[in-house]
Amino acid sequence: MSDDRKISELISKSLRHELSKEESREVADHLGQAGEAKKFAEISRLIQDSVSGLHVENLASVTNEAGLTQDAKKRLNESVASAISEKLSLSQAGLISKGVYAETTDSGRGSRTGSAQADGQRQVNSRFNLIRRLGQGGLGSVWLARDETLGRTVAIKELNANALESEKSWERFQREAEITGQLEHPNVVPLYQYGVDCDSGEPFYAMRFVGKRTLADAIVEYHDRREIGETGALCLHRLLTVFLDICQAIAYAHSRGVVHRDLKPENVALDNFGQVIVLDWGLAKVLEDGELASKMTNTACSSNDILNQTMHGEVVGTPLYMSPEQASGDLDRIGERTDVYGLGAILFSILTGKAPHERSATNSGSDVDSIVKIIAESATPQPVDYDLSIPNELEMICVKSMARKQHLRFESVQKLADAVESWIAGQSGKQAAYESVRMEGRELRADLQSRVRDLERNVRFASGLPPIKALISAKTSEDVSVWRERLSIIFQGLLKANPDYSSIAYCRVDQLETVDLKNLSGSFSELVRVERHSTDLSNIRTVPKSRLATYDFDDYMSKVVIQKPDEVHTSLVCDPMCSVDAKSNDAIGLFSAVPVYDEETEEVFGFVVINANIEKMLRQQMDRRTTAEEVVVACDIFHIMMHSKNGTLAEDSVGKKVADQAEHFLPAIEHLQTETDFIDETDSDIFGARIWLNPGQLGLMYLLKRK
Amino acid sequence: MAELNPSNWVEEYGDYLFRYANSRLRDASAAEEVVQETFLAGVRYSEQFAGRGSERGWLIGILKRKIIDCIRARKKHSQVAPYEDEHDPSAQMFDAMGNWKPGAVKWAPEPGKAIELGELQAVVNNCLKTLPQSQADVFILSVMEEMDSEDVCQELEITPANMWVRMHRARLRLAKCVGSKWQVDHEVEHNV
Repeated sequence: MSDDRKISELISKSLRHELSKEESREVADHLGQAGEAKKFAEISRLIQDSVSGLHVENLASVTNEAGLTQDAKKRLNESVASAISEKLSLSQAGLISKGVYAETTDSGRGSRTGSAQADGQRQVNSRFNLIRRLGQGGLGSVWLARDETLGRTVAIKELNANALESEKSWERFQREAEITGQLEHPNVVPLYQYGVDCDSGEPFYAMRFVGKRTLADAIVEYHDRREIGETGALCLHRLLTVFLDICQAIAYAHSRGVVHRDLKPENVALDNFGQVIVLDWGLAKVLEDGELASKMTNTACSSNDILNQTMHGEVVGTPLYMSPEQASGDLDRIGERTDVYGLGAILFSILTGKAPHERSATNSGSDVDSIVKIIAESATPQPVDYDLSIPNELEMICVKSMARKQHLRFESVQKLADAVESWIAGQSGKQAAYESVRMEGRELRADLQSRVRDLERNVRFASGLPPIKALISAKTSEDVSVWRERLSIIFQGLLKANPDYSSIAYCRVDQLETVDLKNLSGSFSELVRVERHSTDLSNIRTVPKSRLATYDFDDYMSKVVIQKPDEVHTSLVCDPMCSVDAKSNDAIGLFSAVPVYDEETEEVFGFVVINANIEKMLRQQMDRRTTAEEVVVACDIFHIMMHSKNGTLAEDSVGKKVADQAEHFLPAIEHLQTETDFIDETDSDIFGARIWLNPGQLGLMYLLKRK
Repeated sequence: MAELNPSNWVEEYGDYLFRYANSRLRDASAAEEVVQETFLAGVRYSEQFAGRGSERGWLIGILKRKIIDCIRARKKHSQVAPYEDEHDPSAQMFDAMGNWKPGAVKWAPEPGKAIELGELQAVVNNCLKTLPQSQADVFILSVMEEMDSEDVCQELEITPANMWVRMHRARLRLAKCVGSKWQVDHEVEHNV
């Protein structure tokens, strides 16, 4: 090439190191000759060296360049001062301000304590003293701190060291603070200040300290207690009330155009006073047409996109509550119904004690990508897969919230909350009705116990009457007749006063042999017997001497005569004349007896026994108004003694087996073999109360079914 | 750990930043403006100063961005005539055959005497002011700000071919201007 113009162009280019080998050789050949080209190359190189490279430092030595005029400096100082003051006022106002230069005077400027003191405490912004770290997330750490200005405990969130280098992290952090600060709701954590650590220049925000306990802890506690049978419906109701509070917070956020999209029990704090606080709005999406979008700074809005891009990377740490649309990366479909899914997932966790995709995580070996793939592609898990005893209606609500197809979910969080609320209301009504049934069952038992105590008091009273003693020592038949008559008059009075009593008798032991410690053989005969007519109940008569009977000792009477003086023995017994498997209540009586000792010989002379009409007693109880749909009184041999349905006695059932007539009471009967009460924890449907008169002998059970 | 002290910025760094800006923009009022914008941005985004570098270095970083913004804005608002005919120095330096005209570049430094870069820089700065804006901008961004060719093209919204043409013309002009001034200055100095 001979054209100097072209060579000069190559020289220019060579100063940017962009020549090919051939071009370089050409330039070198040319520069070998002295002349203008060489001069041009030399001076151009010098020019370039003088203004590039160390140009910044060299600039300081250019003394002949004029600096700012005094007027210019004055103008600049004024505008900088005004900017500082504007920033300080924003900072004091709280939220969207950023830098905090507390004071910029020589002495007071951001007095800091250094990044770490010996005791591990740090000071941020001269107002907050960090006490200890409470937790750490992907973006930031949360510290417990002391607000020195107001003397209160606060929580401080700051950016993690590894996030500080990323501008996106700064934007996300600011965005999180802005969103949280804009959501003023009792169930959203209140933000006190957004600012910058004067010492490190790193951003932080201060918020209310709500304690460390989260809904996740409460769920674990509930299910642990449930497993050992310590808790019941009441605790579930408490968790569901918490759930409703979360719904309120999210519904409010939606009304402001914000979708949380990272709902899980760990992000719900529960303080000691029942306050429910939804935390961690760091991944929230600000809907473009929502109210909040117009109030956010540009930085915060633009990071919506950044967030979308990084969403996958951020959320995968905890994908167990993730919606299918999030898992499949279908970010355009993320909206309010994504939170409906998230809430459904929380409900799932409340009901089962497990995260919805916990089983997937176990099966896939906790590989995050695999779990996300499973969530995106497979059917949503159902609570009943984990626990069959979950109330059906709640199961349905949960399944609907977590439907794979968005349009099948509740259309809004409010609708979901309404469904849960109406279930709780229904449960409350049910619970109240059950409480009433429990009360009735216990009253029936208490009433019978009270009658038994009266019966025992009366039999003891009767055994202490003078004619009883006199009949022991009466020597002549005249004496016996006199005392028999006097005793029968008193007995008649007793029967008149107690319409439930069928008979009262004073018996003498004729013959007694001990077979073993519990069984006796022998016979006894009635000395005095007053009885009520079996059909004409007002007719009370003294049994004539010729009709007085002699009996062999049965089990019950044996137990009576081995008692010590004044010890009353009361039991439901089959009448000595009837067999145990009698089909009629007539065969069963409530007997109460007390032995009578001969003071001279100190041996058992006989006993006084009252036979109370248990059927009549029970019938009176059944006549009372009841709120229960069904009441059954059964004796231990599982026969129905009384059966009332909707306030009407079902006479047909009497004497029949409970299993045949009212199968739904069987679990209660089973339970009452060893316990005194049966409480239906699952459905609050059946209540059972047991009354034992004597261990190992016949007893009664009251079984009630709620309407 | 360093901390920001915006109240003292004007006093401590005002002149420095102004000279830097002025050397790039060749316009004192535009330079004052970008320095002001730099300080205001420094206050606004102060939390992004992590204290890892010097306060001055951090401000220079902001200033460089502001200078580029200013150059770009200035270009958009000025009606620059097509430079090909008007500002091509080739006619003064090459003959019709494309060969150097004799004495096109006056460069004869005194043998054995080192070239003082600071001194040369002052001459270059003066010469830069004589350059057409379109050529000076390319030279400043590319050489002084050491930006990649692609970035220069992007900021100034020109094609790479255009950039190279402008760059070459700037070099030719500067070589001619600096060579002449250097010689004149040194002759004067010599005579004195």
